[in-house]
Amino acid sequence: MKKHRFRLGLLATMIAAPLISMACPALAEDGVTDKEIRIGAFGPFGGPVYLYGRLVMNGVDAVFQKVNEAGGVHGRKLVLVREDDNCKPEGAIAAVKKLAYQDKVFGIIGGACSNATLAATPEIEKSGLPMIVNSAVADGITTPPKKNIFTTQLTSSIESRAQIDRAIKLGAKKIAVVRMTDAWAMARYNPLMAYAKEKGIKFVANVELQIDAPDATPQALKLRAAGADAVIMLLYAKPGAVMIRDSLKIGYKPYWLGETAINDFAAFQKQVGIPNALEKFATITAVAYQPTDPEMAPWTKRIKSLFPNDELSTFNMNGIGSAEVLVEALKLAGKDLTREKFLAAMGKIKNFKTSVYAGTITCNPPKSHQCNQNPGWLGLVKGKIVHLD
Amino acid sequence: MEVFSYLLATGMTTGALYALVALGIVVIFKATNVVNFAHGEMFMLGGFLAYTFHIMLGLPYIVSLVLAVAGTFVLGILVDRIAFRPLMARQSLVSVLLAMVAISFILKGVARELWGGKGDYLPFPPIVSPQPIMFGNIMIMSQQIVVFFAAIAIMIIFGLFFTYTRIGKFMQATADNAKAAKLVGLKIDRIYMYTFGIGSAVAGAAAVLMAPLTLLYPDIGFVLFIKGFAAATLGGLTSIPGAIIGGLAIGIIEQMAAGYVYTGLQDVAAFVVIMVVLIFIPNGILGQSGVRKV
Repeated sequence: MKKHRFRLGLLATMIAAPLISMACPALAEDGVTDKEIRIGAFGPFGGPVYLYGRLVMNGVDAVFQKVNEAGGVHGRKLVLVREDDNCKPEGAIAAVKKLAYQDKVFGIIGGACSNATLAATPEIEKSGLPMIVNSAVADGITTPPKKNIFTTQLTSSIESRAQIDRAIKLGAKKIAVVRMTDAWAMARYNPLMAYAKEKGIKFVANVELQIDAPDATPQALKLRAAGADAVIMLLYAKPGAVMIRDSLKIGYKPYWLGETAINDFAAFQKQVGIPNALEKFATITAVAYQPTDPEMAPWTKRIKSLFPNDELSTFNMNGIGSAEVLVEALKLAGKDLTREKFLAAMGKIKNFKTSVYAGTITCNPPKSHQCNQNPGWLGLVKGKIVHLD
Repeated sequence: MEVFSYLLATGMTTGALYALVALGIVVIFKATNVVNFAHGEMFMLGGFLAYTFHIMLGLPYIVSLVLAVAGTFVLGILVDRIAFRPLMARQSLVSVLLAMVAISFILKGVARELWGGKGDYLPFPPIVSPQPIMFGNIMIMSQQIVVFFAAIAIMIIFGLFFTYTRIGKFMQATADNAKAAKLVGLKIDRIYMYTFGIGSAVAGAAAVLMAPLTLLYPDIGFVLFIKGFAAATLGGLTSIPGAIIGGLAIGIIEQMAAGYVYTGLQDVAAFVVIMVVLIFIPNGILGQSGVRKV
């Protein structure tokens, strides 16, 4: 009797197996169906740094909308699944777990806050989900390279090196640094100090400025007293504007070297609010254009249609650039999409030109998963915002 | 000497900023015995309303200022009707305070939805020239001088208001003893409503004056509230001149600590001083003690 049951079971299995395999496509990777590819994103929706989460995701959504209108990638529509991490390590870990095991997305695009993303990195590696980081700048996320994590954002060490190199190029004899003290700034400060040591540079002043400080006169007085002729800024736009404004007030005009947190030059001019205040200011940019440039008009229109209260911002543009890289990799991975094929496709991306990034995107796995190595510089020449050499 | 002059002057102008926020907190506390934890958000919304009217809709500066003040006045009344009045009717002071905290979070969320996608820090034009001007042997931002004198002017106006107007006297009477005020026929619900409206309107006016210096973003309210609350506590939560003194003291301490000791102390120095001062003067510099005359 038992033998008979075994044979019946075997027969049923033999009949059922092909039927099951017919019902589910061979490529049944989580997050992929015949009609759609579900991509996860995590970052803050609220709090002081929502810009790096919600607005960057809005940029990703704009690209997805454009791709979907054109028929999707290999016939599949792209769907963005958003998770709020509150910019906290525990929030990011929970968000990755939810995206991987509950929402069952194919991969992730996002990671806004450096500390939060860094904390979630082991969980991302464990899940095997391909991830493209588009905001967090901490080098530790992609150094040493992790098989399934790439970044299209300039990392903190790339920017810090560029700031010191620029100060040297300008012929500065006395270099100083003004910085915030939060996790974002520290992710930049540590590589900055390491590179300064490598170059034999000793900062003549090293002052702190809080993110919400309404005044920076004490800092300006200290920088002036130290005789710094170039000041490296590790500041958001608001403290940056206050710093330059109060330095001008005391007649102190060094070279100011900003980073990508101040890459909307036109907006920064208005934030500082004093005519000709930025003549000696230059800042690193990951993007090639200002939001108001005519080249960005199609994206302005699309963002406005999706999010009527919003204006196109450089935060949106970071999302747009990273999403274009994701789409390119999905195309290269082919119709039979698997995570392995996607990761292999990321490795094939060489000199890829997006519609927003200042430089081209090249991923060099397994050596480097930092795919954006091209910091651009913005400055004023004869009153016009231009890309500097 | 030049360094000291700069630190003193900027301490006073930054302190005036804190004093303006503290004034609104004191006005509401003086009449209701409640700290409005959503006061910073009234300030934030006042700024965004002015931005909407002046920058987005292109209305003249003065018209935008008036509309922003009117808007925050209405918002203050709404806070009274939605949260303060129903909860105070149940004699639940803790619930009122928690409701204020909740309102502050809700207003921040609303601001992020409406204005948060327009940029990281929205600029607002100053009422005077953006260029710094010579003041003695130092340079000061013109707008900072405007804020300083506005704080003094508002202090004087409120001093006169509480001393010479009927509604001002009613407010003081209600704050002193709400039950007794009700017994003698004062409509204390209406007085509370006006108090919230006026306190919020002060925040609205302050926002328009300060926005060129602080820039506008959804989280600015909390930061300024903390400094304003500290100023009000230091000066004495029931004293309008105390709010000014507290604000100026905090501004000056911050600047001196950052200028002469360590720049990293700028944000915390004032709080350390406040802790020490309050140990010896629990009601603040000009605050009234709990003892009542009989």
